[in-house]
Amino acid sequence: MAEMRKLIAIVFEDDVDEVVRSLGEAGIVQFVDMRQKLDEWKGALTPHTVPAQTSTKCTDLLSRIDASLKALNLQPGIARYEKVEIKQKQTEEVLADVERRLAELPIESLAKASILVTDRKPLLDKISAMPADEQTEIGRRLLDLRRIVDMERRSIEEGTKLGEIREDLLTLQGTVKVEREVSEAEGKFARTAKTIYFEAWVLDDDLKEAMEIVRKATGGNCVITEEPAKHGEKQPVMLKPAPSFMQAFEKLTFSSGYPSAREVNPVPIMAITFPMLFGIMFADVGQGVIFAALGGLLTYFKRKIKLEEAGDIVRYLLVSAEMFILLGLAAIFWGFIFGEFFGPSGVLHPMKLGRIGPFYIGGFEPMHEPMKMIRFAILVGALHISLGLVLKLFNTIREREFKRAPIPVAWLWLLWGGLIMWSYWGGISSISRWFAEGGVMLAGLVLAPLVLLVVFTAIAEGAMEGIGFGVEVFAETLSHTLSYGRLMALGLVHSVMNYLFLVLGGVEHGHFPPMSIPIIAIGTILVMIIEGLIVFVHTLRLHWIEWFSKFYSGEGIPFKPFKFT
Amino acid sequence: MIMLDPNLTGLIAILLSIGVPTISAATAIIVCGTAMAGVGTEKPELLSRLIITVVLGEALAIYGLLIAFMLISKLPQMKTMETAFRALMAGIIIAVGTGAAGAGISYAGSSLIGATAERPESYSSNVIGVVLSEALAIYGLLISFMVIGTI
Repeated sequence: MAEMRKLIAIVFEDDVDEVVRSLGEAGIVQFVDMRQKLDEWKGALTPHTVPAQTSTKCTDLLSRIDASLKALNLQPGIARYEKVEIKQKQTEEVLADVERRLAELPIESLAKASILVTDRKPLLDKISAMPADEQTEIGRRLLDLRRIVDMERRSIEEGTKLGEIREDLLTLQGTVKVEREVSEAEGKFARTAKTIYFEAWVLDDDLKEAMEIVRKATGGNCVITEEPAKHGEKQPVMLKPAPSFMQAFEKLTFSSGYPSAREVNPVPIMAITFPMLFGIMFADVGQGVIFAALGGLLTYFKRKIKLEEAGDIVRYLLVSAEMFILLGLAAIFWGFIFGEFFGPSGVLHPMKLGRIGPFYIGGFEPMHEPMKMIRFAILVGALHISLGLVLKLFNTIREREFKRAPIPVAWLWLLWGGLIMWSYWGGISSISRWFAEGGVMLAGLVLAPLVLLVVFTAIAEGAMEGIGFGVEVFAETLSHTLSYGRLMALGLVHSVMNYLFLVLGGVEHGHFPPMSIPIIAIGTILVMIIEGLIVFVHTLRLHWIEWFSKFYSGEGIPFKPFKFT
Repeated sequence: MIMLDPNLTGLIAILLSIGVPTISAATAIIVCGTAMAGVGTEKPELLSRLIITVVLGEALAIYGLLIAFMLISKLPQMKTMETAFRALMAGIIIAVGTGAAGAGISYAGSSLIGATAERPESYSSNVIGVVLSEALAIYGLLISFMVIGTI
């Protein structure tokens, strides 16, 4: 993440248009909207209002240029922009100059001639197509007329150089468009009686250049300084461009908000956790291979096809090409763990990775031992939430809010304390024993962190917030962990849906009769589209709601430097 | 209590566990799908985000399918009225859970779609209503599951 600095400048009213124009050409600063910050200045600054006639004039000139292009039957093109002479510093002067130059162009007479050519032509063509002996006297006269008009047209095309006029019009159009953007940007500034005050964000590397531009545009008549972002001040964020295989995850993350300046950007972590959670719910070696192959094919096409030319759906598929490969690989991995090949067909046997207390990691078929699966799902959920809480701790330290640092620690304690209680005493059904026999344990593992959470939040924010937060955390820990139960539910749904087609096809103990192949093919297509979409959305939901809510604010603003389009 | 045939009770449980969730899913899809179609004509770029409402609605039917399937596989064990009632309860739990979730997704989803069309940046906070409604179905599913486990 690149460092941002804040540029602060005071310039004379007469110079401001040129300053904005020069900065816009360089395209390195993002102006701060001063209108929202005027209260801080207690009346010393007032909003800088650009006169309404400036924008009216811009619109008027643009529509006149458009009309001229149309009257001459010229193709509209990309508006050109040429640096205006330094002696015309102000928008009003530039616009007046444009108006004068527009009036000088011989548009009206040219338009008349071109109408003459285009309107008479069909009639004359018709007459000249008649047989010679049927041509009347009038016809001959009209033919003479046509010759004259043809000559006229040629003289217009060659003599007055329509192409040059088109160039001129496009240049004027570009100039007006730039002035319009300049006056729009100036609407964000503040002013005193004679001077304009503005602030702008700029990348640390570009700071010197930006200051030099302002100095040059004002001829040195300016006050200019810079400072780093104040603590807690909102600043735009410039992220490093993500590698191509992360672009899809970037899109998914930024849909819920842009990371703020001192926040961990969760995209690289999500590129690992997202396929993992997807794979648990979509565990299948066979379909995983198809997914990965599809991803590989799309990656190949991505290099061949231009993204802009593709249709909406194709573009989504192409952007997420690499993501499909990752999702497929994860599905293959978990397919081996849960022993699924196009459903629980019996070809593969589940592989056991390990066992932690009552939590089995692999080594069972989810369809036949759902209780093991739900414990596994809860364990994965606890790990995922813990990752979120560790990131929260990291963020608080990075923001130097040390008062809040103990909160995620106590939260982690509560989460794992609760989980240990749950597994040690054999589930929620024996909750009476939690209180009767495990009283000390309950106090140490659940009540103590909860009290600490309330105390620490109370220190950081106030007593009432502390109690409210304590209740919220307790409910959230419970419901969010339980929500990972969907890993089991959707994993089972996946097995069951495939199993239905296996039964229809008559597959038994890993033996596929030839007749079953088309049925399984249909089933696979159905499952991969419908079920794949559902699993995908649920994975997304687990990240957005259960995971992001722990550490991600998404309140950042992307750095968009002011630049002429 | 009226004494019923255990087998018939089991079938009623299956009827409930697949019937009500599909109706809930249909309600959610009908309400959100039509709202989406309206927004799609104006702002098609939002559809990829809004599709979450329809997909979460559709998932309700899948949960019902899962429970119905588990109940069918337990049908041979339903010889006594006690086991049959457990099956019936499992069916009612998933029916109520998905019914509640379907209502929640329909209301919160259609409002989410309308609000997002107006102000796309409000999406990330408004979507919480939809996903929390959907969580209700998951709770029902988990409990229904545990009840089936005791058959």
